[in-house]
Formats: sequence, structure tokens, C-alpha cells
Amino acid sequence: MKQLLLPLLVFLPMGGAILSYVAGRRSERARDALVALVCAVCLAMAGWGLLCTRRGETLRFAWEGFCGLGLHFSMEGFRAIYSLIACFMWLCTSLFSREYFLHHHSRSRYHLFSLLTMGATIGVFLAEDFYTLFIFFEIMSLSSYCLVAHEEDEKAMRAAQTYLAVAVGGGMVTLMGLFLLYRLTGTLSYDGLFAACARVENRSALYVAGALTCVGFAAKAGAFPLHIWLPKAHPVAPAPASALLSGILTKTGVFGLIAVSCSVFGHNAAWGNILLAFAMITMFLGALLALFSIDLKRTLACSSMSQIGFILFGVAVQALLSEGDGMAVYGTVMHMINHSLIKLALFMTAGAVYMKAHSLDLNEIRGYGRGKPALHFAFLMGAVGLAGVPLFNGFVSKSLLHEALLEYVAERTLLGEGTVLCRAVEWLFLTTGGLTAAYMTKLYVAIFWQKNLKSARQAEYDRLSKSYATPLSKAVLTVSAAALPVLGLFPSVFLQGAAQGAAGFFRSEGVSHAISYFSSENLLGAAESLSIAAVVYFAVVRGLLMKNGVYLNRWPAWLDLENLVYRPLVCRLIPGALDLVSRALGNLVETACRLMRPLAAGLARALDRAPEAILRAVRPLAVFAARLFDSLTDTVALALKRTLFRHEKKPLEASVGTRLTYALGCLLNSLVALANHTIFAHHPVKTDFTIVLAAGRDEMDSSIRRVAHSVSFGLLLTCIGLFLAFAYLILWR
Amino acid sequence: MLLASIFLPLLGGACLPLFRFRSRRARSLYTGLITLLTSCLVWAQILGGARPEIRLLQMTDVLSIVFRMDRLSVVFAGLIAFLWPIAVLYAHEYMAHEERESSFFAWYTMSYGVTLAVACAENYFTLYVFYELLTLVTMPLVLHKKDARSVHAARKYLYYSITGAALGFIGLIFLLTYGRVDFLPGGTLTPEAVSGLEGLLRLVFVLSFVGFGTKAALFPMHAWLPMASVAPTPVTALLHAVAVVKAGAFAVIRLIDYSFGTWLLEGTWAQTVCLLLASFTIVYGSVMAVREQHLKRRLAYSTVSNLSYILMGAALMTNAGLTGALTHLVFHALMKITLFYCAGAILVRTNREYVQEMRGLARVMPFTCAVFTFASLALTGVPPLLGFASKWNLATAAIDSGLIAGYVGAGALIVSAVLTAVYLLSVVVPMYARPLEGTLPAEKCDPGLPMKLSLGVLCLAMLVMSFSAANVTEWLSHIL
Repeated sequence: MKQLLLPLLVFLPMGGAILSYVAGRRSERARDALVALVCAVCLAMAGWGLLCTRRGETLRFAWEGFCGLGLHFSMEGFRAIYSLIACFMWLCTSLFSREYFLHHHSRSRYHLFSLLTMGATIGVFLAEDFYTLFIFFEIMSLSSYCLVAHEEDEKAMRAAQTYLAVAVGGGMVTLMGLFLLYRLTGTLSYDGLFAACARVENRSALYVAGALTCVGFAAKAGAFPLHIWLPKAHPVAPAPASALLSGILTKTGVFGLIAVSCSVFGHNAAWGNILLAFAMITMFLGALLALFSIDLKRTLACSSMSQIGFILFGVAVQALLSEGDGMAVYGTVMHMINHSLIKLALFMTAGAVYMKAHSLDLNEIRGYGRGKPALHFAFLMGAVGLAGVPLFNGFVSKSLLHEALLEYVAERTLLGEGTVLCRAVEWLFLTTGGLTAAYMTKLYVAIFWQKNLKSARQAEYDRLSKSYATPLSKAVLTVSAAALPVLGLFPSVFLQGAAQGAAGFFRSEGVSHAISYFSSENLLGAAESLSIAAVVYFAVVRGLLMKNGVYLNRWPAWLDLENLVYRPLVCRLIPGALDLVSRALGNLVETACRLMRPLAAGLARALDRAPEAILRAVRPLAVFAARLFDSLTDTVALALKRTLFRHEKKPLEASVGTRLTYALGCLLNSLVALANHTIFAHHPVKTDFTIVLAAGRDEMDSSIRRVAHSVSFGLLLTCIGLFLAFAYLILWR
Repeated sequence: MLLASIFLPLLGGACLPLFRFRSRRARSLYTGLITLLTSCLVWAQILGGARPEIRLLQMTDVLSIVFRMDRLSVVFAGLIAFLWPIAVLYAHEYMAHEERESSFFAWYTMSYGVTLAVACAENYFTLYVFYELLTLVTMPLVLHKKDARSVHAARKYLYYSITGAALGFIGLIFLLTYGRVDFLPGGTLTPEAVSGLEGLLRLVFVLSFVGFGTKAALFPMHAWLPMASVAPTPVTALLHAVAVVKAGAFAVIRLIDYSFGTWLLEGTWAQTVCLLLASFTIVYGSVMAVREQHLKRRLAYSTVSNLSYILMGAALMTNAGLTGALTHLVFHALMKITLFYCAGAILVRTNREYVQEMRGLARVMPFTCAVFTFASLALTGVPPLLGFASKWNLATAAIDSGLIAGYVGAGALIVSAVLTAVYLLSVVVPMYARPLEGTLPAEKCDPGLPMKLSLGVLCLAMLVMSFSAANVTEWLSHIL
């Protein structure tokens, strides 16, 4: 029965999302009531779950076979606490959003995606393995995209685009890491991984896999250098959504990082150092950006980034400490909880400001908070909590983180290793704490103490002091803010209890001895931080960042990692290169074919005409050769005659005669031969009659020719003609 | 019964131009009935159990036309038997805007029979014959508009397909010589028969892989597919996202696991070449899809990319790889056909075909856009939708194979997943977030009931598949 809590916590909001959307088309009141009801029921369930797990019991639920590896949920200390916080935050923001969205469009859509995100977020926290976690992580990324893009103006679309790009890109890298982890260990459950990773021999592959897995989580958490979406998405989202984004969605990233850190890396010094470096950069850069910003929500967003840096700092120190890491774990957990609740109050305050002032520019909203006690209370509690003022909740967690660092320093000293860098880290930690206090002071003073430079505007703001929010909104603000000093005043009751429950998730024993939160060391650290804050506030904020009472944004506009590096890289360079390659390769076959075609055609034509061409080329040669062979004998004879036999007597040219003479000659020859054998046996005749006859014929020929040429011959022919004519006349007439 | 299911649509389609129908309705009814009856026959056989071998024609003692439905056939035949009636339903409404419906439905129905024959071919020869035939019966569908572009596309389709089949023919000859042509799980070549010839046979395999990969739009033989999107949408959706292209992928699976056998190829250069080609195509297709501004062509490039997921899974030559390939074969079919149907519905109702023109469309076509969004998210691989399950299977299989090329393939999958998000979400987001482009009637212009019904059924199928992905995977892992 209790087990059913887990799927209900995840799927009830998802189902409620669709129901509320349907209801929203009929009646807005019904929808709002439904949303609040869903959140409240979930809160109650999470509370019950927490009570159950207080006794050390772990609730488990598995939906085997879902989407391949199946969904596995479990609930123990840390997850129960975070589910509870998530439900609480959603309840507060959904109540607050009633008034906030009064003049907004697409309200039903907001609630649809808000509740979807809620279910997915709780799913991330309750996941027992990375597979389940990843599934809900992705659903959460996509559905929260719609929250960021809710306003649908140019700025919101651009910020949402960045958010989606970072989320999807990071998610895919994480997925790659999970593939590798799965290959190396054969499991993705946290406990299974913890056991299996210790056995993996290929350490470098394991670290690569772990690091890849972290990328998506770090992107969601807003760690440098993937923080680019954070300062843009938070300000453009509606205030309730910003509160959720900052308070709880970033924590899912942190949650994933903790899961990787604790189950894959364990106490690994190299990992701790790398994480520490990134945490320090994130922490300091966020604070710096927040100090320069003059936009209320942007300041809070950058502050979120900075506080995430603090939390990661705790995770890093926990990885660095080989044993006795309880202090770091407590600090991390407490700071997570504190930051979630503080940012809830602060962003809702910002929402309340924006609701009526319609601006977030510090110069415009200056003096808005004067004479509005509920608003003042909520913001002040958040601000002092965040700044780490003793007696408030931020002080508790930051002190523990500081103490954890000191423990690490002590451990190094004990081992005889250098502590110079650690001192630098400590100094940076305290400075960043100072910066935090400074930028919160800047906001607080500007909104709640200073008067607006335009007195008409100030009068308008003063008139609003009764009607700036509905009683419900005011109540929500007050309740969310009232929790903060309670946590700060009784740290050992609430926060420590939560941290003790959560330590199991970190595979830590926790802290066995009693913690003195208000020890002189801690107070000294806070004093150090706050004195830095005072210096920074008066020197930098009042001196450098203000001119004639106007807040200035002195951060150079071009110094923006997204516009400077990521956008050109992703939108220009990589597509350009890919475009070039694809253009070159896209028509590889066709280009090859096109190139080959003239060649092939030429070849075919050439082959087609080859015999003819060869013949044509050969013919003159052949003719020449034929002629040559034809007259070869003659030529040889002629040549011989002209050269060697030049002086030889010309033989008598034998006459050839005709066939008739030849035949007659042959006949006579044979007769003579016969006679020679018989009659003229003693005096044979040796004459060749063919020649004789031929000669005779020639003689006759020439005489005939002569006759023909003569005149008498002509006369003779004339006579014959006359005779014939005469005969014709006589005989036939 | 198997013969009946193959020849019913073949004959029914061939006879369609002979009848003179009194109305469009009557013709659609006729086509629908034939299709539905065929699908019922196919499903009856799938569920019936006994699946005898049918020897249709014995040409020589080794060459024969034989059909048999084994487990792999069931996957492909079942898929198309499910999708074809839906496609006819969709085409009924879509084709009201086109000419020469009779010839369209005739060829459309005939290609059903041929695809079934490819699915149920029992040997390489039968597969080859019907594979060639598939080219011929689907070419008139590409040619349907008969303008210069479709003629160009059809010629290109023909050239590419015939070249591919010619390469596949080389495989047939070598299998005839050194092994047998019928399909056996594990392959028909034996180590004794081919000792000394392994290198040559691997070369032949790569050639055949590229040959059958042509229909599956494997780089460098992919160029016909984006061009062929000039065909009417029912053709692009069913044939160029499912039947024809999946026939190519299906033939590749037959080639690897049932003819050549994985023992010959595993860990050799042949496998590396195939994996690298497929991985390259995956990234390449996605990049081109991002570049392309014409919606249907963008989807076609996405098909190029997604088909190579299947080829990559098959080329991993492990059971996990094959499982991943088959899951993606089924899931991608559902998702891509839905996307194409949405694009077709938009084209018909608003005459818009470029990505920029989709802005704000959700205001006038809420149903279509919602379905498009759902299918886009599924194809992008948003968990827990079905695209995620198949990609997960493929990527884990790729990494599990332990090959360098496998890691490359998994990397390609991840890169492609990001690009998929880019090229689909850059259509989806402006649909909702931007003001409407141009002028359109203010009232809703969602398509009519037949289209809505087919889209609805497909969405339902996707949902069911999403939630039963584990069972599907489990069943598919016992194919061999």
C-alpha cells in the first residue's frame, strides 16, 4: 500500500495536468482549485512518505519492463525530503500564480506544463537508477521549456531556445555516458553501480563515462561553463516558474551530480579537485554577475548560479575528504534545502513586484517595497538568509561548508601536504559569501529603502500599499518566508534532522558528534564575510555601479559566453563545416556520374567509330602498298634496266598477237612438232609459228592502218557506199 | 493462404483499371476491401501459427520461387499489414485533390502484394525477383504527377534501384556457387566450403550490402529518396518511409543473418566498412535534414538517417543489434508515417510545404499539429515514448559490441538525436509560438474524418508501443 505512494506522487500530477487543462477550458476557478488540490494531495503524500521513512524504512516501487529497463522508484531520507520540498514549492507557486497570471494569456497551458514538470521532477528525485532518472529528467527538460517560453515574446523565445539547446545537448551527452556506464558495469541502479564501479578494471573508461554522465546534470544545475541558459531563462519566465526553475529544477541537476559523484567516483581526489575548480568558478562568476546586474530577477538568477556553486563546492569537498565527510554532506544538503526555500520566497517577491510595477529594472522599481510589510518581510528573510547572517538559515549551511573545508585543510596538514591552495579556496569562499551579501543589500536597499527618482512614480507605488497583492498571495509569501528564520533559529531540529536522513544517499555515516552551529569560528567567518560585503557594497555598488543615484549596468554587453562562443560555434561554425562536408559529399555519386558521363560518352563514341577510323587511316597506306606491290616487278625491272643493265641491247620486242594468231600458231606448232617427229625427223623445223603468225598479224595490222590512213581507202568506202545505195534502189524499189 | 494474400492485391490492383466505378467512393471501397481482406489474411496467418512453405515455381533445381513466413517475415509483413489499410483510408481523402486516381490506386494496391512477397520470400532468388519488381511497381507512383520534376525523380529512383539490385545480384551468384540461396538463420555458407575465399566473399558481401542498402538510402546511394518526395503523400509516407525502404533494410538483415552468416563477417573489415557507412549516413541525413527547408524533404532526409540506424543495428551482427534494428524498423515506421501524414494534411488543407510557412499553424490546425508534435517528440527519442526505447536498444547494442566502429556508431546516434531535436523542434515550436504566417481562413481547417481517423489510430498505436516497448523488445530478441 505504502509502495503505491511513489508512482502516485509521480503520475498524479501528470494526470492532474491533463485534467486541469480540460477543466481550464470550462472554468478557471475549477482549474485553479484542481491544481491546488493536486499539489496539496501530493504534499500530504510526500509528508506521509517522509514519516514512513523516518524510521529508516525504504519504500520501493518497480514498474518492470517499462520502456526497456523498467522504472524503479525508491524513497528514503533525501528523496523523501526533496519530494516534500518539491510539493511544497509547487503548492506555493500554484497558489501565488492565481493572481500573477490574472492578466496573462494561455493560463491553462501554464498549469498543464507546470504540473507535468512537477511529476517529472518528483520522478527524478524518486528514481532508483539512472535510467529512470534520465527518463524523467528529459520529460522535465521539455515540459519546463514551455514554462520558460511562456511569454512568447522575442526575448523569451531566444532564452527558451538556449535553454532547450543546453538541456537537449547536455541530456544527450549524459545519455552517452550512461551507455558507457551500462556497458562497463551492466547496471544503472545507484547501489549496483556503487558496487560494480569498485570492480571495474578499466578506470579511465569509467571516469570518462562518469564525466560524460555529469555534463547534462551540470548543465541543468547551471554550473560553469554550461550556465549560459540560467541568467537568461529565469528573468524571462513568469515569476512562479522562475521560482521553480531556480529552486527545484536546478536541484535535479545537483541531485544527478551527487548520484554520479557518490556512486561512480566515490572518494576520488582528482574528481574532487576538478569539481572543486568548476564549483569555485561557478560560485564566484555567479556572484560577480549578480553584483553587476540591475535587473531584479536576473540578479536572483545569477545568485542561483552562485549558490549552486556553493552546493557543488560541498559535493567536491565531500569527494575530497576520504573519511569523516559528514560535515560536507550536511552542509550540502542543508544548503540545497535553504536555497530552494529562499529562492521560492525571493522569486515570488519579485513576481509580486512585477505584477503591479510591470518592470524588473532596479531604477524603475526603486522604492516599490516601501510601506508593504508582507513583501518587505518576505524579501528581507530571503535576503538575510542568502547573505549568511547569523541566526538565519543560510548561515547554518554556509558555516558547515566552511567547516568541511577546514576539516579538509586539517586532513592535508596531517598528511603533510601543502595547504596554500586550500587557503586561497577558503578566501574565495568567504569573498563570494561577501559578494552575496553585497548584492542582496543592493536589491534590498533599492527596493525597500530608497525612494524612486521620479516622485510621481513613487506616489503611485505608495498608493498601491494596500492593494499590491491579494490576501492569498500575501499569505503565501509570508508563509514561505516565515519558514526561513525558523530553520535558521533551530538548525539542529529541522535542518540537521533532514541532513541526517539524507546522509545515506551520500553513502556517508553522517556526523556523530554534536554540532555547535554558533561557535566562535563560524561567527568569525560570518563576520569576515559580512565585513567584505560592507566594503564591496560601499566601494563597488555605491561607488562604481551608481552615478547620480542611478544604478548602472557596467558589465560589458559583449562579454557574454553564449554570444561570444556558443552561438557562433553552434549556429555558424559547426553547421558551416557540416554544410561544406555535406555539400561535398551529398551528391558524391551524382557528381562522379556527371564527371564520368562525358568520359564514358567519349569512350563509347570512340569505340563505336574505331573500325571506321582505323580503316580510314589505313586505306591510303593500303592503297600505297597495293600500288607498290602491283608495280613491284615492273619497278624492279625498270630499276635494273636503268642501273645494272643499262648497256644491254634491247631485246627484240616480240609481238604478242591476238588469240586467233596464238591459237593458229599453237596448232601449226603442234603440226610441225608432229611432222618433226615423223617426216622431218632428220631436219626438224624450229620455227615458232605463234611468233611468226603474230608478226604476220602485226604486219597486216600496220598495213591495214596504213591503208586506213590513205585517201584511196576513203574513196574505196565511198564506192562501196554508192554501190550499196544503188543496189537498194534497184532491188527494193 | 499465403499465396492468396500475395496475389489478391496484385490481381486486384491489376484489374482495378478494368472496372468503371461510378464514384470515388466505390473505387475506394473496392481498394479498401481488397487491402483489408489481404491484411486480415496476413494477420490470420501470423496469429494462426502453422505457416507452411509454398513452392510456386521450380525453375532449375536450385532456383525456385518459394514463400514461407518465418519469424522475421512476421515482423515486416505484420507491420505493413497493419499500416496499409490505414494508408488507403488516408489516401482516400488525400487523393481527392489529385488526378488519375485509378492508376494511382492500381499501383498502390499492387505494391502491397509485392512488398508482402518480399517479406515472405523464402530464398534469396525470390527476394531478388520481387525486390526488382517492387522497383517497377512503385516507379509509376513516383511518376504520378508527370511533370518534369517527377519524371526526373522517377528516373533517378529507377537508376539507383537497378544499380543496387545489380549489386545484390552479385551476391546471388556467389551464394549460388558457394552455398545455398535459401534463408537459414545463421547463414548458408560453411567454413569448409569457403576456406580460402573469405576475402572475396566479404567483398561480395559489402557490394550486396551497398546494393540492398540503396533502397534503404544508404550513403552514397541515398540521393533518390529526398527527390522521390515529389510523389503524393500517401506514397512518400507508406512507401518511402516504410514499405520500400524497409524492404531494403529487411533484405540487408536477410543478407547478414540468413545468407552470409555472421561468422564470416564479424570483426572483419567488411563489418567495419558497413558500420562506418551506416554511421556516416546517420549523421549526414540529420545534417541534411537540418539544412532542408522543405518539410517533406526534411522528413525524407530524416528517413535517410533513421534507416541507417536499422542498418547499423543489423551490421553490429549481434543479437542485441538485430533486436535494436527490428525495434527501430517497427517504431520508426509508425512515427515517420505519422509525421508524413501530418505534412500531407497540411499540404492538402493549406497548400504549405516549407518549414517557415508552418508558423502559427497550431491555431488553425490544432489536431494535426498536436499529432505532429507528439510524433516529433517520439522520433526525437523523448523518454518514455517509443523512439527512446529503440534508440536505447541500438545504442546499448552498439556499445556492447565492443568494436571501435560500434562506439563511432553510438556517437553518431547521439549526435543525430540532438540534430533530430533541432530539425523537428524547429518546426514544432514556431507552430505554437509564432503568429500565423500569411492569410488563412480564421476557422479551423483540420482535415476530414478519414485523415483524422488514420492519424488517431497511428497515435494510439504509438502510445501502445511506448508502453509495451519492453515486451516488443523481448519478443524481437528471439527472432533468430
